Order: sequence, then C-alpha cells, then structure tokens
Amino acid sequence: MTTKRTMTLNLTDAEMQVLDDLSQRKDLTKTAVIRQALRLYQTVEARIERGEKLLFENEATKEKAELMLL
Amino acid sequence: MTADVSTIFLLDVARGRGIEAELRDAVEEAQLVDWQTQWQPALMSVLQELARRGVPIANWPQSWHWNWREKTAQVKGLLAYRGFSVVCAGLTQGLMSINLNKLARIPAQRGKPLVYVDYLEVAPWNRADLGQAVRYRGVGTALLVAAAVLSRDEGFHGRIGLHSLPQADDFYRDRCGMTDLGPDADYQTLRYFEMTPDQVTVFLEGESGHEV
Amino acid sequence: MKFERNEKWWLNKARQEGDSFVGAGLLARDPMPAAEAAAPAEDLRLAFGRFVRLMRRERGLSVEKLAERAALDLNELVSIEEDLDFRPEPRTVYQLANTFDVPQQRLMQLAGLSVSRDAGFSQEAVRFAARSESTQKLSREEKAALDAFLTVLSKGESKDKR
Repeated sequence: MTTKRTMTLNLTDAEMQVLDDLSQRKDLTKTAVIRQALRLYQTVEARIERGEKLLFENEATKEKAELMLL
Repeated sequence: MTADVSTIFLLDVARGRGIEAELRDAVEEAQLVDWQTQWQPALMSVLQELARRGVPIANWPQSWHWNWREKTAQVKGLLAYRGFSVVCAGLTQGLMSINLNKLARIPAQRGKPLVYVDYLEVAPWNRADLGQAVRYRGVGTALLVAAAVLSRDEGFHGRIGLHSLPQADDFYRDRCGMTDLGPDADYQTLRYFEMTPDQVTVFLEGESGHEV
Repeated sequence: MKFERNEKWWLNKARQEGDSFVGAGLLARDPMPAAEAAAPAEDLRLAFGRFVRLMRRERGLSVEKLAERAALDLNELVSIEEDLDFRPEPRTVYQLANTFDVPQQRLMQLAGLSVSRDAGFSQEAVRFAARSESTQKLSREEKAALDAFLTVLSKGESKDKR
C-alpha cells in the first residue's frame, strides 16, 4: 500500500523559495510539504463538492471573507 | 488496496499472559461488521442494565452513538484521513480514525502538522467503565502507538493531538505523558492533549531513547 | 508502517495502561442534560408512542406483526403504544429505529433514553403528538402529521451534530 513512485517537479525560483520556507516553518521535508498540500487540496475539494464553503474569519472583527476555489 | 498488518501483543486479562494480535492500518468491512454486530449489541445490553437500574442518563457511557460505518464512508478516498484497527481472536478490539490536516497548538510546536486522532474507541468488552471484567488490555495504547509511528513516518516527528473523552484524561496525562492544553471551548469542553516529539521518544523508546 | 517491538515491550505498555478508560473524539451530541426549556418527558413519550403506532399502521401492520418483524416482545410494544409511564429498553428503540429506518439518536431522544439540547426538536415532537389521534385508518391529517414529523426527525440529525 505504501509503494511510492518518483516524480520530477518543475518549479520556478519563487515557488522553490516558498517550498523551502514552508519546509522550514513546518519542520517538514519538501516532499512532506507537497504531500500535505495535496491532502489539504483534496479535502477542501471534497467538501466544496458536498456544498460547503471554505471561509477565513478575522479573529478580531469576526468578519468572514470567502475563499473561492474553482 | 490491502491493509498493512503488524503483529502486536495484548494482555489477556483472564489468563494473565500475552496474546498475539493484529494492528491494521485500515478500517475495513470486517471491522464495520464487528462494530455493528458485536460492539453495538454488547453496548446495548449494558445500557439496558443501566436503564433497569435507574442510572441517570448523564452517567451513561459516552461514546455509544458514534457511527463507524457512516464516518468511514465520509472519508473514503481522502488522503488526509486514515483508519486503524486492532484485531484479536478474530474480532475487532479497537478502532481509530485520524486526520492529517491539523496543526499543533503547543506554543513551541505551533503551526507544525501532527496526526490528529479524530476518534478512538475500544470494544465494549475491553472497557473498564462498564462494570464488567476487561478482556484485553492495551488496545487503546496500541492505537496511540500507531498514531505516533504514523506521525514519524509522515515526517511529523511523532507529533500527535487529540480531544480526550472525560474518563481518559488521566490516562493521556499521567500514563502517556502528554501535554494537557486544557478544556477546549470549541469542542464541547473536552480536554485537548498533544504529544511533542520528545514526549513521543519517551513513549516509544523510554527515557534513555533506547527500546525499553 | 514498520514498527516492531517484542512481546515484552507490548505487555509492558498494556500493564502501563492498567484499568484506564481509553477513548478520544468529539461526541456526536452533547451528553449533558438539556438546560433550556425542552418538553417534559411525558410529552416526548406520548409522541414516541404515537409515532410508533402511526408508523406501524402506515405499514398496515398489527402489533403482533410489528413485534415479529422487529424481533420485539409483544407486551413491550403494546406498553410503548398505550402506557404513558412505560420506559422502553434501549435495544427496543434501536430495533424500532432500524425497522422504521429513522435516525437512531433521534428516536432515543423521543423515547426519553437520551437527552437532546435541541429544544426545537422537543417542540416538534409535542406538535406531532397533538396532531395525531388514534383511529383505525390513517386519516389524511394523520398522514400529513406523520410525514412532517419524519422530516423533522431526519433533518434534526445534522443540526444536533457538531
């Protein structure tokens, strides 16, 4: 079940920078960051598919802004 | 997709010795059938007894309404959710559902991903709080071990988090050495616990960092 | 998932666990007794008895037939439908929920075996009890009342969940 396949990623400098940054902040390897991103993306997609919305809420003002994913 | 199976050992309480069991990294149909046909009726007869004895509802066992079949169906195919089960003597002894999308809250670990235990339940006959003799000891611990090991495998360095059912607070705090972050107002005031990478090392390897 | 420990290690862990209760996770409903104004228990039980009777009659079943189909004790079923003071067994409610294909949680709340925080549900139950009368055939009003309440039963599940 856990057999893995290798893929080459073509990323811009900016994207690599972000990947490096997240990797550091989250104490994850770059591969682990990508895998987390994939999990999150799939979960969000599934819930939006179910009719739910993904929102950000401002802690202070309690204002909500909608994040749209197409 | 076949589940990965590891050999573990539980304590067979009646016989006072170890018994071999399986730790599986999935909750499959066999587990759901056991939940439906073995766990539920066993729980129901306990509830019947409580009702007969006039025990107030507030004192009834608190996890009997979780629907494993429904929950499993909800997360099917999603990478962020994984199931684990413990099987012994041909019967499901414990179930656990985890979520890989959550982040640590302990200040020193803030923002780092962890393995969050959405739900952990052991079979009614393995529970000490139902007024009967426990069949196998160590099921809950085995599932917690699985969560910590998964966390290491995924690169999360062992970090785990969970909201404890009230009677389990002492277990997580004192026996597992987890950090108690207190009652969570957003989660029915259940206490939220986390295990840091260092605490996981103690949990899995003992103080010295070597296999105990 | 490669993780190997010997029997001694596992048994040590099991002994550490001792007699502790181990469990985790959000409860699907609030286990604490309702603080808000919910309907008194008798009203809910009345609704429960009426509901069981109407669901039975809607299926054209005698009490004996329903008892048979749901694998229940006949006397208990009669008491459920007729005796306001009667408290059903959890297993009975569980069987009825399966037989009628309605949410188990909600039926448990109606039968007075578990408590809901949802005051709205209590009100609907009372309303249903008031609208339902017991005559031989299901009148149009009874059918309408039953259908409306079935909607409430199924809807209420998601509201009550976290």
